[in-house]
Amino acid sequence: MSENGQAQEMVTLTIDDQEVTVPKGTNLIEAAKQAQSEVPYYCYHPHLSVPGNCRMCQVEVEGAPKLMIGCHTQVQDGMVVRTHRSSETVKQAQASTLELLLINHPLDCTVCDQAGHCKLQDYHFEYNAKPSRFLEEKNHKVKAEPLGPTVILDGERCISCTRCVRFCEEVTGTGELGLLNRGDKNVIAVHPDKELNNPLSGSVVDLCPVGALTHRNWRFNTRMWFTDTTESICPGCSTGCNVRVYERDGKVVNVKARLNGEVNKEWMCDEGRYGFDRFIPESRLTSPTLKGEEASWDDAVAAAKGLTSGKTLVLLAPDLHLEEFAIAQAFVQQVLSDADVVLAYRERTLTEVEAVLISPDYAANFRGAEFVGLVSGDLEQQYTQALEQLQKGAYENVLVVGDRALCVEDQDQSAFTLAMTQASCSVGILSDARSKLAQACAVTLPSRPFLEKSGMLINRTKRLQYARKVIEPGQGSEPSWKILGRIAQAAGQSIVEARTDRDVTLSLLGAEPRLKGLRIAKISREGICLDSYTPEESPADENASGDARA
Amino acid sequence: MGEQRQILLTNINEPDQNTLSAAESRGAYKAIRKALEMDPLKIIDEMKASSIRGRGGAGFPTGLKWSFVPRDTGKPVYLITNADESEPGTFKDRALLERDPHLVIEGMLCSAWALQSNWSCIYIRGEYAYPYERTKRAIEEAYEKGYLGENIFGSGFTHHMVIHRGAGAYICGEETALIESLEGKKGQPRLKPPFPAVAGLYGCPTVVNNVETLANVPWIIENGGAAYAELGVENSTGTKLVSASGHINKPGVYEVGMGYPLLQFIEEECGGIKDGNNLLGVIPGGSSTCVLTADECKGVNLDYDSLKNAGSSLGCAGFMVMDDTTDVVEAILNLSHFYSHESCGQCTPCREGGHWIEKIFRRIAEGDGRPGDLELIENLCSQIGGHTICAFGDTMVLPYRSFIQKFRTQFRERISEVLKGIERKRNPMDFEVGGVH
Repeated sequence: MSENGQAQEMVTLTIDDQEVTVPKGTNLIEAAKQAQSEVPYYCYHPHLSVPGNCRMCQVEVEGAPKLMIGCHTQVQDGMVVRTHRSSETVKQAQASTLELLLINHPLDCTVCDQAGHCKLQDYHFEYNAKPSRFLEEKNHKVKAEPLGPTVILDGERCISCTRCVRFCEEVTGTGELGLLNRGDKNVIAVHPDKELNNPLSGSVVDLCPVGALTHRNWRFNTRMWFTDTTESICPGCSTGCNVRVYERDGKVVNVKARLNGEVNKEWMCDEGRYGFDRFIPESRLTSPTLKGEEASWDDAVAAAKGLTSGKTLVLLAPDLHLEEFAIAQAFVQQVLSDADVVLAYRERTLTEVEAVLISPDYAANFRGAEFVGLVSGDLEQQYTQALEQLQKGAYENVLVVGDRALCVEDQDQSAFTLAMTQASCSVGILSDARSKLAQACAVTLPSRPFLEKSGMLINRTKRLQYARKVIEPGQGSEPSWKILGRIAQAAGQSIVEARTDRDVTLSLLGAEPRLKGLRIAKISREGICLDSYTPEESPADENASGDARA
Repeated sequence: MGEQRQILLTNINEPDQNTLSAAESRGAYKAIRKALEMDPLKIIDEMKASSIRGRGGAGFPTGLKWSFVPRDTGKPVYLITNADESEPGTFKDRALLERDPHLVIEGMLCSAWALQSNWSCIYIRGEYAYPYERTKRAIEEAYEKGYLGENIFGSGFTHHMVIHRGAGAYICGEETALIESLEGKKGQPRLKPPFPAVAGLYGCPTVVNNVETLANVPWIIENGGAAYAELGVENSTGTKLVSASGHINKPGVYEVGMGYPLLQFIEEECGGIKDGNNLLGVIPGGSSTCVLTADECKGVNLDYDSLKNAGSSLGCAGFMVMDDTTDVVEAILNLSHFYSHESCGQCTPCREGGHWIEKIFRRIAEGDGRPGDLELIENLCSQIGGHTICAFGDTMVLPYRSFIQKFRTQFRERISEVLKGIERKRNPMDFEVGGVH
């Protein structure tokens, strides 16, 4: 469990007649997972305090006078625990909790955004599935009450688990939310004169186990079962938040944080979430261009070959995958004679709440560029200096890889792009037809933005993660590694033989000694901390098993 | 054993007993002088020897509770007097705070010395405006006289005391909810463990005791734990304040020796049943204890064991007498409304189940009962009891269950009247509760 190699005291106990050994201090919900027993819960969250209020996780502990709640009960040596799988009492208690949770619930699943991934639905089906005995009138509470710019509340659907309240108290420290009133009249509300408006506010929707909190901009978009789900990584900064993206008809319709205790817990920032598709260009490059005119791939590649001689500035986007950086490195070493390589890297000042999760850069994979040896040292300074040199005419050629190779907030973008047009050869491997970069480059080659490709990233804390393709690539585009390979080929060098993103990943895992023994499936799960990873000698071609989606 | 005996109410009817000078002239603040010369641990031993049990309802041995407080944590120890007396039918602490506040303050001082606590608080229910004023003034007087503050009675012991008003929630009488409330949060019980003795107010060792419990401490200091243990009966030592109410001729606060016969208490102390009616039943320990029918009251004494054996409990001795004119359906509806209104709403069974039961009782009372309703309530009781964070859920179901079990005929009659088409006994609009929260 622990990656830092500290010896943990272990405890052995029996859960549903099966012996399990877990670290001391583990609670029974987590311990039960090892016995393949599910202990259901609503209010518990591994990264929030334990309120024990939903009473869904009750288990039987031998010797205890009554049922215990799994979230608040820690393992003890020799403990004998029974879940619903082997205890009728637990089964009844859980069915009873569900019956009680549903008596005042509006049961409006037909129009609820949570339907299809709702814990009330799932657990009711699995642990109760009986008709209600409730004949009285249900309580009525606030409906469609905006809590702030991003989140809206349906008070009747709420089960008072207080996950959202605890999140705002314990994680962001902003404390906008509270539970008003007593008893079954209680309702989530914002404090007077406040609104739920913090940089991570959308996370409360992920945390809500039912449909009480929903995203204002994504409400009533689609039924969740019509969406395709992809487990990916947010490219906004180098925190590398693990996310689950819901896509329908090529559009991102919902983004949820994915649980990863080592990276983002289960939080994500609003900037990343609501702007998840901001890097997909509205207007695509669909074919190569030469001086603004459409051209064939062969002609464009031949023109691009022109940058291989002379002093060249290679300007890299910070959200390229590790594989792309590795091939860019091969390109620089084998094809270019005299090149300076810089990464578009800027830092910003974060507020205290932003700093809870967000990294100060906009550079999802600057660690990846460092890893392959493309850049090192003070990246921001190098970037600034390179742009200054470019304006002074110090470079004959410019090679731009990725739409974000120029930081959006750089005030004098126009000056740089003007300087680029004066280079003898400027090539852009880009996807956005309307960007200043595309207009400045003599040669443009249509590539793919972050969400249209799969590959590895290394986050700020040097954790290697795998981001899967979220949407299908744009028409006429090619992966940037492939484009670099074609230019190299035109220059008489072979730097890449792969045909798919997955091939590139596998060949990098096979060839890079520091990544030996890693498999895509293993990286995908929670990522790999590179500082503590010891490369194994086993070949990476085990990757052949079970990763067809990559 | 079992006779009227005055420890706490000796001076309760003296009109000036609330002032320090008058109280002192009648012997107040003698015990604290003696206590300050005693080893604090010796006082805890005396408390153990007295076998006194907490008077707030749970009856936990006080000396034992004090001995759980760790003494070497480097953290302050807090003493809290629970004066959030909110149990329906209970008003004994009010009498003490209103009429003899110095007895309580002295008890707290003795306890604070025993626990080596330099700070204590009286958490008084918000509705107790008059007792609050009286007690607040008494604390001020004690400060003025130097009985509170630094170097009390030249002993070098420092003790500060404040009084804090609750905001009107029954649940704040639960010790961990009280602590939450005192910390400025919403009054909701905490998960246990840890218990307050280890991590209470602001995470520090904390003792929460009932007013009456602490009021006994000066007597125990002066007379010794052994002398106290001789009062009352085995397992229930000392005297008990009883808040007697209902259909009796002389409602009020009475002090009786533990083991006093229940029916004799009604006849002799309370002046018998009102209007010469017959006894229907008694809720002996406050509304969250099981009701006893007139038959069951025979031979029962007012002490922990006797009431437990009879199927109820002494609780905090909120002694409510019902005569045979009582409409038990209305009575339990009233109680169920109280409990559903006072549920803090934190955990599911109490929040949802409590209110559901109230709705069913209301339906029955309003003439819309159905066959199966009583069984449903009994089933819901078992879904609530034993499944909640605090004891509220466990105890709330006791009166429901016992009322249905013991007065089933009355409930059935009410339901069958409806089925036979007999006109409703009451207009649903008569009893408009639940609208304001």
